[in-house]
Amino acid sequence: MNFPLATSITHRCEIFRQRPFARLVRLFAARIFHGGGDDDSEGLDLSIGLVLTLLALPGGFVSVLLFEKYGSLLQWMRGVIDFNPLAAALPDEYFFIVLSMVVTGAVAVWRWDSIFPDRRDYFNLVPLPIPTRSIFFANLIAMLYLVALLAIDVNAASSVLFPLVVCASQEHIAFFVRFAAVHATCVLTASIFTFFAVFSLLGFSMAVLPNSVFKRLSPYLRALLVIFFVALLCTSFALPNFLQRLPATPPWWTRLLPSTWFLGLGQSLRGEASPALAALGAFALPALASVVVIAGGVYGLSYRRYFSRIPEMTEIAASRGSSRPSFFVSRFDRVVLRTRVQRGCFHFVWKTLLRSESHRLILSAVAGLGLVLACQALMSAFAGHSAAAKVAVSADALSVPFILAFCIIVGLRLVFEMPVEMRSNWIFRLLLDEENHECEPMARKVMLVSTLPGAFLVFPVYAYTGGVLPGLLHAALVAAWSVLLINAILLRFRKLPFTCSFPPFRQHSIVTLLAGVMAFFLFAVVTPAIESSALANPAWMAIFLPIAAVAWYIPHRIRRETMDHERILIFEEVPSRAVEVLQLGD
Amino acid sequence: MLEALHLTKRYASLPAAQDVCFTLRPGQVLGCLGPNGSGKSTTVKMLTGLLEPTRGEVLFNGHNIRDNLSAYRKRLGYVPEEAHLYPYLTGWEYLELIGTLRGMPRPELEKKIDSLLNLFSLHAHRHAGVGSYSKGMRQRILLIAALMDNPDIFIFDEPLSGLDVTSALIFKNLVQALGQQGKLVFYCSHVLEVVEKVCSDVLILRKGVVIAQDSVANIGQILGQSLENTFLHLVDDVDTVSVARDIVTVISAA
Repeated sequence: MNFPLATSITHRCEIFRQRPFARLVRLFAARIFHGGGDDDSEGLDLSIGLVLTLLALPGGFVSVLLFEKYGSLLQWMRGVIDFNPLAAALPDEYFFIVLSMVVTGAVAVWRWDSIFPDRRDYFNLVPLPIPTRSIFFANLIAMLYLVALLAIDVNAASSVLFPLVVCASQEHIAFFVRFAAVHATCVLTASIFTFFAVFSLLGFSMAVLPNSVFKRLSPYLRALLVIFFVALLCTSFALPNFLQRLPATPPWWTRLLPSTWFLGLGQSLRGEASPALAALGAFALPALASVVVIAGGVYGLSYRRYFSRIPEMTEIAASRGSSRPSFFVSRFDRVVLRTRVQRGCFHFVWKTLLRSESHRLILSAVAGLGLVLACQALMSAFAGHSAAAKVAVSADALSVPFILAFCIIVGLRLVFEMPVEMRSNWIFRLLLDEENHECEPMARKVMLVSTLPGAFLVFPVYAYTGGVLPGLLHAALVAAWSVLLINAILLRFRKLPFTCSFPPFRQHSIVTLLAGVMAFFLFAVVTPAIESSALANPAWMAIFLPIAAVAWYIPHRIRRETMDHERILIFEEVPSRAVEVLQLGD
Repeated sequence: MLEALHLTKRYASLPAAQDVCFTLRPGQVLGCLGPNGSGKSTTVKMLTGLLEPTRGEVLFNGHNIRDNLSAYRKRLGYVPEEAHLYPYLTGWEYLELIGTLRGMPRPELEKKIDSLLNLFSLHAHRHAGVGSYSKGMRQRILLIAALMDNPDIFIFDEPLSGLDVTSALIFKNLVQALGQQGKLVFYCSHVLEVVEKVCSDVLILRKGVVIAQDSVANIGQILGQSLENTFLHLVDDVDTVSVARDIVTVISAA
């Protein structure tokens, strides 16, 4: 059968797709996804399909897990008869709003460098016979397309599945439709708000700051945003219950959390909002409109200020620096880093940690998580206590440095596995001795330098609040436990951080993850609990000596029994083969 | 003396280099020529120890380099084909890293980096990130990295790539001076004029096999023509003039 209208529309679409402007939009959309940048750095480049699937997964996954909470049969079996799904859905709705904001925000931070056309675009596109305004509008449309795609993708699964789960026990389809529409409105507006808020911050910084200052500040802004998003995610555990009991005038700080605005908006649209939530919800739409307007304004301004002036900017940023190491660094090199390999590699690792965007972001996220957990522990410590001395030796307060140390050590171990500029590792392949590479002692020193100063800071803080002896014992325990954790976590570490390809997913990866959770429990929950009891009589602290001896001996023994070929320095992580060829014929 | 003895490298049974043999004596500048895919890079990687030959060995002063790779590499200066550097390190920091890993004493290292950056006209940009450098500047950083520890063997793989005229002229004279100092220089390039000018001997590879090896003067004399014509005669059966004419025809066609 022939459909002339359909054929004509398809043909017109095809013609439009081939027009220079449409081609430009597609180019910018692809560039925002795959990254741009002035350098030839190799980022984590994933296909669009995979990225969209990964982004859609959390919403769908969490919705499915909620079946158990809303199932009418399960409610009946629990003895709940007057189950109000709307009231029960409030904490979950808050979680979905936060999830939508965090995922969208994370993508915006991840693609931060690719949102604006850069030097490469300028020199490829401007010499072509295309008006500059076409480049401006094409990038704008590509960005809007990305926002729409992202908002729909991140929230599609939860917008369908969550209302289905909540309304499973309801008889009227209208209830479902209304619930789904309001939920979709909340999460979509939250997503769009977040993207434009991040974009406004980026555009504003580009428009206001000189280019060199912006380039220097940009990584720190991104790190701060990551910490904010991690903290926002953590509010979903405690805040919803608090919001349900809010007085008519909500506390000032709740107004600073955009997630509460969109929850309030949803509750208002359903007519279920308490006065406090209604007040918070009133912020949502004006805030959304404001960030869209601000984003549009700063886009135009920063485009004019940055893109149009690219040829005037020097390619090599003016830079200041010292050719001689400071007194402290020279001393440190002489005393701590005794060999050439340790000296060279230690400084390389530090510079990568401080300057590589992706590594810094991951480390910030893990450290941010640690910070949130530590704050939570501190808040629990103060709940119900008034005397500082009593608070200081409570298990919750004692756990703070353990949580922070654990997150820093695990975060470092995690980022050590992430390669940077793999093609540049030839220099290490050329200059490092495969058999005597000293990578493990060097990595240990990086971790110790990152954690031990914090452990030493523990002493004055706890000595001031809880007494000199508890402070001293606690600082010693945090330092000793950090050393033992570093010792264990670097077992069979035989790569120079950042120079080896990503480790493949192994069958024992899930076991490793579970072991990590268990280690956190032992390190940051059980240890402070025992310590809190032991500090009542400091002699009892001796109980930690045999535990430390065992924790030291096991990795030491495993290290001693490691075969020589398992110690050789590697630059490629090869997945273990199912069948090993013995090559007996060679 | 550096000897390549029957070097063979196979990638999943496909030979990239086959039975490559040559000797590099002190003071000799050996040019290595060959079209793309002729096995030049594979040979270079085997000479640097980055790649283990499937068969054959590389001897330095009579010892297999793989017996003590660290000692061999301490005496080796290598400039790879592509300037892959860590973009977030500054030029100074990159050279400092190389010098430290090579075990150069700190005062000597600083002095040499400073002087070489000056001589290669990079001193003003020494504290800028390598990511912002042009291709030629990155190449100069690689050259300094290879030279600064005063090694005995130099392996240059397309060292002139991206260099401006002045730097290229300096480098060509430098290679000859290194040869005169008794260093061993292995020089891979596509630029025939440069090889003809700076190398004392030449090795021509085709499909992983050595097809000619002699002094530059002898190779020209045997075939009675320039190195460029000799190379084309030995390696490619392409009529370059007619291909150029065809290109003009295609771009002028309506």
